[in-house]
Amino acid sequence: MRVSTRQTQKSNTRKKIIETAYRIFSEKGFSVPTSIIAKEAGVSHGSIFVHFPTLNDLLICLLSDFGDNMGASLHMLAKKCYSVENLLKEHLNVLEEYEAFYSRLILEKNRLPDEAKSTFVIIQSTVAFHFSSVIDREIEKGTVKKLPIHILFNTWLGLVHYYLLNKEFFSDSNGSVIRRYRAELLSTYLNLIKKESEVYE
Amino acid sequence: MKTCIACGMPMENISDFAANDQGKDYCVHCSRPDGEMQSFEEKKENLTKFIVRTQGFDESAAGKIAENMMRKLPAWKKYFD
Ligand SMILES: [Zn+2]
Repeated sequence: MRVSTRQTQKSNTRKKIIETAYRIFSEKGFSVPTSIIAKEAGVSHGSIFVHFPTLNDLLICLLSDFGDNMGASLHMLAKKCYSVENLLKEHLNVLEEYEAFYSRLILEKNRLPDEAKSTFVIIQSTVAFHFSSVIDREIEKGTVKKLPIHILFNTWLGLVHYYLLNKEFFSDSNGSVIRRYRAELLSTYLNLIKKESEVYE
Repeated sequence: MKTCIACGMPMENISDFAANDQGKDYCVHCSRPDGEMQSFEEKKENLTKFIVRTQGFDESAAGKIAENMMRKLPAWKKYFD
């Protein structure tokens, strides 16, 4: 099927808006006006509204990309018989890939439009779903301490979020906080939750 | 690949389908023991309990999240119009 030039142009514009919004929001936060996004993307302000009638529509599009990637990566692991260690590593891999964007999300979550906020919570619930299915199995096998799933999940997320939210203290440059601390965070967390005979090296 | 109309889960293996029946549009987690699909109320209650168990949220907050998840799925759309 032949795609018309007009259609190609339209999808190029959409792509440019998405890439620019992702970059600007990550750098400066979600309150940057769409007129700035348009200017940076080199498109007319009006064309943003053609593709994304509201800020919420644009945010949902960016969030869905992040959520689909996270969901697909963790789901792929789920098909194998994976360990909690592998799951957490993969979680960090995806977070590192989206680090600046994700840090903005957790910092500004309460100021996002309701639907965007809800989309973010649903993404975290998907992570919790995969986390719980692995942890349930490990608790049953006796490799992880029998602690409530939600505390195990929230402890992990709280730890990672603390480092992301305090990047200015944990990192002296623009380098990734996750890349710098991932080994320490992982091994410490695993040592906390594993049964003693299973201590993680 | 088919995804469950009631929870969105990808269904790859035959054991993912309700009653091991690949003709079904919903998954093993969304079916009752007799193979029928759970009702709106049953699914909402199960999802809410699951969110409370895995994330520790307050039950009414978890109930709202469960509804927002269901809102996007083909099986439950009509309950939100
Ligand atoms: Zn299902």
